[in-house]
Amino acid sequence: MTNARRAARIGRRRWASSRTFYSDAQTEMELTGGSTTQLEMDLGELPLPATTRSLPKEDTVLEQGDLFDLLAESPEPTPQTIFEGMEKPIFEVAFADGRNARFQHANTLLESLEAQDIHIEYQCREGYCGSCRVRLVEGDVHYIEEPMAWIDDDEILPCCCIPKSALKLQ
Amino acid sequence: MAYTTFNRNEFDTFEQPMFFGEPVNVARYDQQKHKIFENLIEKQLSFFWRPEEVDLTNDRKDFMDLPEHEKHIFVSNLKYQTLLDSVQGRSPNVALLPVVSLPELETWIETWSFSETIHSRSYTHIVRNIVPNPAVVFDDITKNEYIVRRAISVTKYYDDFIELSNYYQQLGEGKHTVNGETIDVNLHELKRRLYLTMVSVNVLEAIRFYVSFACSFAFAERAKMEGNAKIIKLIARDEALHLTGTQHMLQIMARGKDDAEFAQIAEECRDDVIGIFHEAAEQEKEWADYLFKDGSMIGLNKDILSQYVEYITNQRIGALGFDPIFEVRNNPLPWINAWLNSDNVQVAPQEAEISSYLVGAIDSEVDTADFGDFDL
Repeated sequence: MTNARRAARIGRRRWASSRTFYSDAQTEMELTGGSTTQLEMDLGELPLPATTRSLPKEDTVLEQGDLFDLLAESPEPTPQTIFEGMEKPIFEVAFADGRNARFQHANTLLESLEAQDIHIEYQCREGYCGSCRVRLVEGDVHYIEEPMAWIDDDEILPCCCIPKSALKLQ
Repeated sequence: MAYTTFNRNEFDTFEQPMFFGEPVNVARYDQQKHKIFENLIEKQLSFFWRPEEVDLTNDRKDFMDLPEHEKHIFVSNLKYQTLLDSVQGRSPNVALLPVVSLPELETWIETWSFSETIHSRSYTHIVRNIVPNPAVVFDDITKNEYIVRRAISVTKYYDDFIELSNYYQQLGEGKHTVNGETIDVNLHELKRRLYLTMVSVNVLEAIRFYVSFACSFAFAERAKMEGNAKIIKLIARDEALHLTGTQHMLQIMARGKDDAEFAQIAEECRDDVIGIFHEAAEQEKEWADYLFKDGSMIGLNKDILSQYVEYITNQRIGALGFDPIFEVRNNPLPWINAWLNSDNVQVAPQEAEISSYLVGAIDSEVDTADFGDFDL
């Protein structure tokens, strides 16, 4: 593996912190041993009910209201995208060819799309090369950094913007 | 119109087009018709680097260990890039400065050319490090038929424009007899040549460089010639910015934003533009053939490189508002983006691979085995 790739990997690993979740919604989860179980999930911040018990490490059966650690590569909300008095920017992003994604908790639209396996050509990632240029069919974006690359009136550079509404791209 | 180094006429800079208006007088940047060029200058200055900042001691060792056919790939690309930057280090100044009319654009052209001279100096730095006699590499540039062939198409648009532009400045518009030859100087033809020159520069920066970039990064993917890749990364960053500058100039022209005649010329020249892109792509594919004539390298061969040329040609011509001219839809070398990316997305600055962090540092590996014969 090349060193440049290794650098990227180390950076990403930072997101993979262990966090405690506790839930309300119905989700199906596969556990070791192949059995499935229903558990409730809600990632909101609810106060802990008195009946909650912490899950012993060797216990494989989850019950309603159980507290468990989730080890997953889910990014934490970044401070850059949260402003007081403003809703968290969470918007659907649709592509003309049918691919869908949801922008949330990302620094830029490009990062968000990449995290959802939608790969867009890129180079500079700060708005001066224009490699990531896509056509904006519907919606509105906010530029974190004013783009320097030449773009047409109906084009955007995902590397330096975040959505202000649901987007339709081509 | 005769060129003057300090135009004494009074005029409103906002009334001036990019080219062929009043010659620039005061180099002032408080009033800018096209702010983008000032932004490009700022960015380019912030990119400043010197070749000597990158340590190449490991590259010498790597180069000696390369098989002959890979040495050929490496050295040939270096020669070609040297040619391209030799052209770009002077031609924008020679061709464009006499006809430019905006101070911020004039300074951008100078800044742009200057950064190309850094690239040229970095090739000497690389060559000095990998071969005992740099002349072997440099002397071949004007002799090698594969390089010469491409040099002709890189420079012919510049030369055609400069020739007519010289007559225009000395004699003005009209029919003139010079050394028994009749020369027809008209501004429309001059502007047409300027537009085509800009397109050919765009092709040079956007397509021609990228074949060499791909090879350099393919070596570095195998942890070979990493110092060279570091330099190429810095060059690629500069070239991306120059490309943006050229695209802006072309689009301002094509939209007739400050000179309606250019919009008409752009419309007339659509087929020529496609032709220039096509010719460049075909030449680069021939070059790939020459590079890999004695064998390909791991991760890269003639077919993949040719597909990459087609892909990047589609991308670049698309940026100028044209339809793609090749079939390829996906990037056949997706890993290259990570190499082309500038260093601003620093994940861990202590990583030696981040060249901006390595400025002035020496990264020469020492293995514990090196101390094996030490006795105390």
